[in-house]
Amino acid sequence: MASRFRHPELPDEQAAILARAVRYEWLTIGYLALTIAAVGIVMGSSQALKTAWVEDLLSLAPPFAFLIATRIAAMPATARFPYGYFRATGVAHLVAGVALLTMGAVLVGESAISLVTNDRPPVGTVQLFGAPVWSGWLMIGVMALTIPVPVIFGRIKMKLARQLHNKVLYADADMNKADWMTAAGSIVGVTGIGLGFWWADSAAAAFIAASILWDGVKNTRGAITDLMDTRATTFDDDRPHPDAELVARYLQNLPWVDDVYVRVRDEGQFLHVEAFVVPRSNRSLTLERLEEARAACRALDWKLLDVVLTPVAEVPPLVASRSERRPS
Amino acid sequence: MMRLAVAGALVAALAGCQGIPADPDGTLDEVTGGTLQVGVTHNPPWTDVMDAANPSGSEVRLVEQWAADLDAEVSWTVGSESVLIDAMDRGELDLVIGGFRDDTPWMDRAALTAPYTESTGDDGAVEKHVMLAPLGENRFLVALETFLGRP
Repeated sequence: MASRFRHPELPDEQAAILARAVRYEWLTIGYLALTIAAVGIVMGSSQALKTAWVEDLLSLAPPFAFLIATRIAAMPATARFPYGYFRATGVAHLVAGVALLTMGAVLVGESAISLVTNDRPPVGTVQLFGAPVWSGWLMIGVMALTIPVPVIFGRIKMKLARQLHNKVLYADADMNKADWMTAAGSIVGVTGIGLGFWWADSAAAAFIAASILWDGVKNTRGAITDLMDTRATTFDDDRPHPDAELVARYLQNLPWVDDVYVRVRDEGQFLHVEAFVVPRSNRSLTLERLEEARAACRALDWKLLDVVLTPVAEVPPLVASRSERRPS
Repeated sequence: MMRLAVAGALVAALAGCQGIPADPDGTLDEVTGGTLQVGVTHNPPWTDVMDAANPSGSEVRLVEQWAADLDAEVSWTVGSESVLIDAMDRGELDLVIGGFRDDTPWMDRAALTAPYTESTGDDGAVEKHVMLAPLGENRFLVALETFLGRP
């Protein structure tokens, strides 16, 4: 199973991590299926539970995106797709982001409308072991049960995402980690109904919808910037990826190199590097030196799969702003 | 897992509370020992309003029994479904009956009780019968469902 996902270029250690990540995503999907069924049975007329239920449905998207993208990205380059299929990860990320964004916006609107139109959720009884029980207790119980597992999964997947440098996995882990707020929000909403505050339900739903919308904004923005070939960043978009500086520094310190400009883009699992090098003189530039430098760059990090060295007379002015060129 | 413990304690504390669920408009409190305002629309054998002052039928009898339990008088209002639903929206009625089924199109404008009985329709399909209560008056709804569910 794991071997099918294994990218030929991935070192053993990362391939093992990827296999673990795939396992955890399948576990996540199985768990979500259980949650969706349970919440679907008890949700009744509560807007907050309905919103939480839609969020559970939506949180299936990132795991599926990850599993599909991982499989596609592992396919070798072909004549038709000479750069390989690495962008599949970015595309999957964008699709998941837009799904979240759209549903978030719809749900925010729906909850706002039910607040304004004074929608009062009826919550009656269910027969439990022959006795009538207020359904609200059942809703609260089920939502409380859904709190711990996503938080645990989120933490584990976050670690794997860092090791793998995988942004879809990161986005998924980030959503899981925040998932307890959804459950807590819907518990507050149902408790509100119980206490006679009809608006608490819609307010809780609006809060949950806003968190879905925010997830959508973050993910869509991240996916678009990556597809726009933004400067490569760390897996959590926190800072520029250190590999760019590693490569630049290595090339700059070569005795035959006068000047260098490095640009790095993120194509999902791997980074793709283009380095423009200005040799000190015509004679100092040899094929051996270029090949040696390229191999050394690739050896700096497993993520540096595709390194292109281009010898130039001077750094192209279009791409060269002094501050970008020499990271200090 | 501190959070879970806190949530569990909270739920347990609330479970001990007699006031849950509450009525936002206090319907059950108003009805108890007072008057139950019931809208009734003609649908024998469930409801029969040929004698408008004294409706009869199986649902009418159920409502009268429940009112007696609550020590309340029943005040009947006869009308069409839409007139009665509008009146309940305005807070003038506490309950609407008329042999409604659980697939009633009024489900967005009224709280359906849990089905309290089943019958077989003309086409042989099972029909589940409900009564219509005001939206969000959950204490009232739970009290009614508890009464209807009693064997």
